Amino acid sequence: MTALDPERIKVILATDCGSTTTKAILIQYVDGAYRQTHRGEAPTTVEKPFADVTMGVINSVTEIGELAGRKLVDDDGRIISPATDTEGCDIYISTSSAGGGLQMMVAGVIAEMTAASAKRAALGAGSIVMDVIAANDGRRPHEQIQRIRDLRPDMILLSGGTDGGTKDKVVQLAELIAPAKPQPRFGSDYEMPIIYAGNNEAQTDVSEVFAEGGFDLQIVDNLRPVLERENLGPARDKIHDIFLEHVMAQAPGYDKLMGWTGAPIMPTPGAVGDILQTVARIQGINVVGVDIGGATTDVFSVFDETFNRTVSANLGMSYSISNVCAEATMPNVLRWVPFNMNERELRNHVKNKMIRPTTIPQTREALMFEQAVAREALRLAYKQHKEFATTLKGVQQQRTVGDTFTQEAGGETIVNNMTLDLLVASGGVLSHAPRMHQTAMMLIDAFEPEGVTMLAKDSIFMMPHLGVLASVHPKAAEEVFDRDCLIYLGTCVAAAGNVKAGKPAFSWSFNGMSGEIAGGEMELVDLALGETAMITLTPVRGVDLGNGPGKKVEREIKGGTVGVIFDGRGRPLGLPEDRSSCQSTVQGWIDSCAMYREEEETAAAV
Amino acid sequence: MRTLMIATLTACCACVAQVHAQVAPPTNVKTADAPNDVGNQVIVTWETSPDDVDGGVTSYVVVRSKVDTDESTPIDEGAIGDVPYGVTTFIDENATAGTTYWYGVRATGSAGESAIAQAEESVTPTMEMINAGKIWFLIIMVTISGVVILYVYHAKRGGNISVRKIAGLEAVSEAVGRATEMGREVLFVPGILDINDIQTVAGITVLSNVAKTAAEYDARLEVPTARSLVMTTARETVQAAYLGAGRPDAYDENRIYYLTDEQFGYTAGVQGKMVRDKPAACFYMGAFYAESLILAETGNSIGAIQVAGTAMPSQLPFFVAACDYTLIGEEFFAASAYLSDDPEQLGSLKGQDVGKVIAAGLLVLGCLLATLGAMTGSSGIDAASSYIKDNILGKAGVMPAMVLHIGQEDDTE
Amino acid sequence: MAKAYTPGLLVTGFREHRCRRILPIAGEVNVSIGDVVTANDVVAETNLPGDVNPVNLANQLSMPASDVMDCVVVNEGDTVAVGDVIAQTKGIFGFMKTSITSKVAGTVETISPVTGQMIVRGAPLPVQVRAYISGQVVNVLPGEGCEIEANVAYVQGIFGVGGETAGSIKMACSSHDEELDAHHITEDMAGAVVVGGARMTAAAVARAREVAAAAIVSGGIDDADLKDMLGYDLGVAITGREQLGITVIVTEGFGEIAMAARTFELLKSYAGTEASVNGATQIRAGVMRPEIVIPLESTPEVGDGKRKYEEGQLEIGRPVRVIRDPYFGIIGEVSDLPSEPHVLGSGSKARVLEVKLPTGEHAIVPRANVELIEE
Repeated sequence: MTALDPERIKVILATDCGSTTTKAILIQYVDGAYRQTHRGEAPTTVEKPFADVTMGVINSVTEIGELAGRKLVDDDGRIISPATDTEGCDIYISTSSAGGGLQMMVAGVIAEMTAASAKRAALGAGSIVMDVIAANDGRRPHEQIQRIRDLRPDMILLSGGTDGGTKDKVVQLAELIAPAKPQPRFGSDYEMPIIYAGNNEAQTDVSEVFAEGGFDLQIVDNLRPVLERENLGPARDKIHDIFLEHVMAQAPGYDKLMGWTGAPIMPTPGAVGDILQTVARIQGINVVGVDIGGATTDVFSVFDETFNRTVSANLGMSYSISNVCAEATMPNVLRWVPFNMNERELRNHVKNKMIRPTTIPQTREALMFEQAVAREALRLAYKQHKEFATTLKGVQQQRTVGDTFTQEAGGETIVNNMTLDLLVASGGVLSHAPRMHQTAMMLIDAFEPEGVTMLAKDSIFMMPHLGVLASVHPKAAEEVFDRDCLIYLGTCVAAAGNVKAGKPAFSWSFNGMSGEIAGGEMELVDLALGETAMITLTPVRGVDLGNGPGKKVEREIKGGTVGVIFDGRGRPLGLPEDRSSCQSTVQGWIDSCAMYREEEETAAAV
Repeated sequence: MRTLMIATLTACCACVAQVHAQVAPPTNVKTADAPNDVGNQVIVTWETSPDDVDGGVTSYVVVRSKVDTDESTPIDEGAIGDVPYGVTTFIDENATAGTTYWYGVRATGSAGESAIAQAEESVTPTMEMINAGKIWFLIIMVTISGVVILYVYHAKRGGNISVRKIAGLEAVSEAVGRATEMGREVLFVPGILDINDIQTVAGITVLSNVAKTAAEYDARLEVPTARSLVMTTARETVQAAYLGAGRPDAYDENRIYYLTDEQFGYTAGVQGKMVRDKPAACFYMGAFYAESLILAETGNSIGAIQVAGTAMPSQLPFFVAACDYTLIGEEFFAASAYLSDDPEQLGSLKGQDVGKVIAAGLLVLGCLLATLGAMTGSSGIDAASSYIKDNILGKAGVMPAMVLHIGQEDDTE
Repeated sequence: MAKAYTPGLLVTGFREHRCRRILPIAGEVNVSIGDVVTANDVVAETNLPGDVNPVNLANQLSMPASDVMDCVVVNEGDTVAVGDVIAQTKGIFGFMKTSITSKVAGTVETISPVTGQMIVRGAPLPVQVRAYISGQVVNVLPGEGCEIEANVAYVQGIFGVGGETAGSIKMACSSHDEELDAHHITEDMAGAVVVGGARMTAAAVARAREVAAAAIVSGGIDDADLKDMLGYDLGVAITGREQLGITVIVTEGFGEIAMAARTFELLKSYAGTEASVNGATQIRAGVMRPEIVIPLESTPEVGDGKRKYEEGQLEIGRPVRVIRDPYFGIIGEVSDLPSEPHVLGSGSKARVLEVKLPTGEHAIVPRANVELIEE
């Protein structure tokens, strides 16, 4: 399809084919702005008996058409494009994560260097990284081969060596992969795609190793030409190409769907990453996004225009709930629960949720427990993210004598909660919490933002659609993201640094109101959705709110459905070890933030 | 027996007295066994002779006689030492523990010698089992040792002993990784001193870790040495490290070689190697002199990640400026505990830290008290500061000293 | 009407069961269409390529990789035994030769002049696929495997550990709500599929392993006991590869919970019959539940295929099980299906139904928290 002039795009139709539901949204140009106007939903139809993804797409689009009073699908079951005044759309775009998404295996020479860059490229492209093979991953070669054999990835990304760097290590990796003959996940009628993005001098040797057949080797530019710089673009684009050519082509109905779309179909997480990057770039802010699902948790971050994504494979709220409890340990989960629970019963409850993943908490106690688990899952996922989102390793450092006592190692995390501006939540437990206060508190407790941070949630999981839209019409995507996609929960003002329990931490004033927050205290002040205010924050000595310890902060804050949350608990967040004082502390926070209030029933449908 | 003794001394002195009767003898001679010794010291004190004015007396001579067995006649040993006029104390350091002695003192002046003034009682020096003057030393030693044992025990029980992150050691894997990715070598320079230097030993400890990482990453490690013994040690260490990493086949002893003992010959050799082969990681761990900057600058110019470690204060600034990471003095020596994660080493590292804190605390306190004392002139503060100086750091024991002050030197530990 | 969110587990006295028996890689299929096989027959077999052992000759000979080719004394494709010389240096005038011997037996697959590595592949590993259920081969996938069909009584469990096994069914408990304890298990249950009632205790499982029972099936298990049994805390419900020596299946869930009476009666009616059991569970997209498959000699008359209720439909009067606290495990009847969402105790709004509990009480339960009892 030929590229459209962005100026002329007025009606945009977007779908996201998830593994269970296909969600469609309609974006229209109304009164000088792009707005998301209608949405529709239908079960995904990739699996038998339907085995044609377009059926689900048409069903969801038909639903929108009815709601919008606009005919979008013609009598032959095709999406009408381009648009006229009353029917059709100017452009149709789609993402997909049906069939388990894009699964990859990556390989590189050193786990922290080229292999990490390869992983970053694969994750950034929206794939699930099944395993990372590296020369120093601690496994013996035959174990690595066994592992490659067991995995059935959609494709393999092989990197290693700087340009002109090691040749034999890269060829060794190729020599591990070639005899293992990994089988592609879908059928045996296509050859395993291998993307080589390593040392340019080893290209011929690598192609010789894979020459024997059974592989479809594609060579792109080195993703780490020198250790000081990453060049992930070519590898990432190649992953998308192969995703479309091979992987999507295997799934029923996708060939038809590809013919309809005005932009390449993207893997859902890749699209989410794109919209966050677009927004961060246009607004000049640092963003962290999280999507907590039943099995996995995705964390996206953009700090100083550097994008990172991690997938925590076994941190989730249903299939993986038991793993969260095992990894975080029960006492860590229970510290967020302000009442006593029988551990034996609790263990059984957790396992029952795991084997019956679709159940929902019926009582408040069950809800509180589930939200406690969510906090730990998010905390662990964010920890993994911080460990992964680092500056490059293996880079020469420049020092002066002044650095004698402050030498910092390379590979430090670039995630800085103090400079974080916007934290976006999505995923069942966060976006469907009965009260948005609970969502806000889960985010604050798990991510521990510092200084002034805006909190928001993705209203109907629209980020994937907007991600693809960003590739054709970034401005429209950004506008809709801000107006319709995000529901602002409010702003969190959290003290970092030397906060002393019970002693004043900082004072605040805005809109003629003012107050003082003591160490260990929380307070909630209303500031309605859509309102902004200039806030003045005066921290005591040693407490940092963004401008350095003890320095006054004046800035604009946005209101939201929750309001402004003042957090004087200090960082890192410590809870009392003792069970009973921990319970009363947590209960105090719950009360001051009005997390579970009987009378209000602003419940979201589950 | 006493009568006998007096008789002898009197007899002996009587003849002298007859000749020089002009000088009056000192009075009130007393003897005491010196405390906190092995039994070889006796303290003799007296009051000055009435003639000890205007140069009437030039010196006092101490005489001694010893009683071998209970019943024998004391054997006169004659003069055993003298002190100038005005002095009223003498410490006999040549006594034998368990032997009984009689002491006498006579004054000598321009007018001749006085009669011998006799101590009233004999003295038998004995050995003390505990040197009470060094009780503080004992307390501090027991504390530090106790703390070390406590921490070792704590670490062995799985307790967490956190050692501050030492960036230079964390960077080993990064540096070796860089060499692997770039297909270049890892160069390790263990300094120019022999294996008997503690810095070289510490360097070899780090080498073991570097070699292990190199084995895991399958990187090429080169170790040029300036001493043959260092080469042998390095070979053993590297081989063990490769074995430990499960890669004995990757070990090649020819990559650990001896260049020359000559400081600048060695430097030139290593430098030439660096310029030709452009290693991607260079480690300088050991004792360095003038060659430090030559090596580090060369390494910097070829774009290597460089990690240095030395306890040579004069070379540290060069390393800090030219290298990516530098281990400074103590860090360098703590490296083995840091790298091994061995509870015994970690425990003693932590215990030693407590010792350092105690030492530093006393230092600060002493300085503070001395300064305050000088400013205010308060005798209380002076007493406190001298307590630190004499009792805690000196040999004066636990009790504030005045009593035992006699004859104690103010040497500090 | 309304679909239940959680379809019930399949428990049926009769079903035409078809199972695919596939090799991990291409191989030989030993059966042809129409063959009648028993559970232990090998239907397909193949040889997995042996383990790959790289030998770094360049390092062992201390020479650049490019020179290695001159020293190698074997060719690609040669078979080597442990101790065979695979490479030798030229030495000096024929003396001082260094030779490298092979530490593994196998075939020389490749020798690389780039890395100086030789890859020796070990002996192939035979893999056999058994029929698993007794029945008839209805389809052969050449080189891959076959499909076997049989008329069976079929019970799906909710969760299991351990792989495929077979044995005759032995009832250990007399009622569906009797706890399965060690004293229920007797010596003669060796090789049998032991069926209990409610929760199985840790002692019961231990005793069953002691008498070498093939499998143990009951209503529930305590998670703490499961953890002790496995030696680790199960994080994700993907099982089937545990090596416990016994396959464990729970039919209802974790904790104190009785086996559904129907399941119990069904198993009881086939006491003494051979059954195939698989504990493999995978709760993810493409869900897999543990199963007990009882091949039938003749087609029973009861299973005429007619159902009282349509599959997956919630209807008033239909028996359902509540699968989440506070009513966890209770079986009741749907007494009302309000169409408007209802605010739950947790504060969430959700579609609910009213369940008439055995005590006569009526309870409001989210629709997501019930599962149908398939009749």
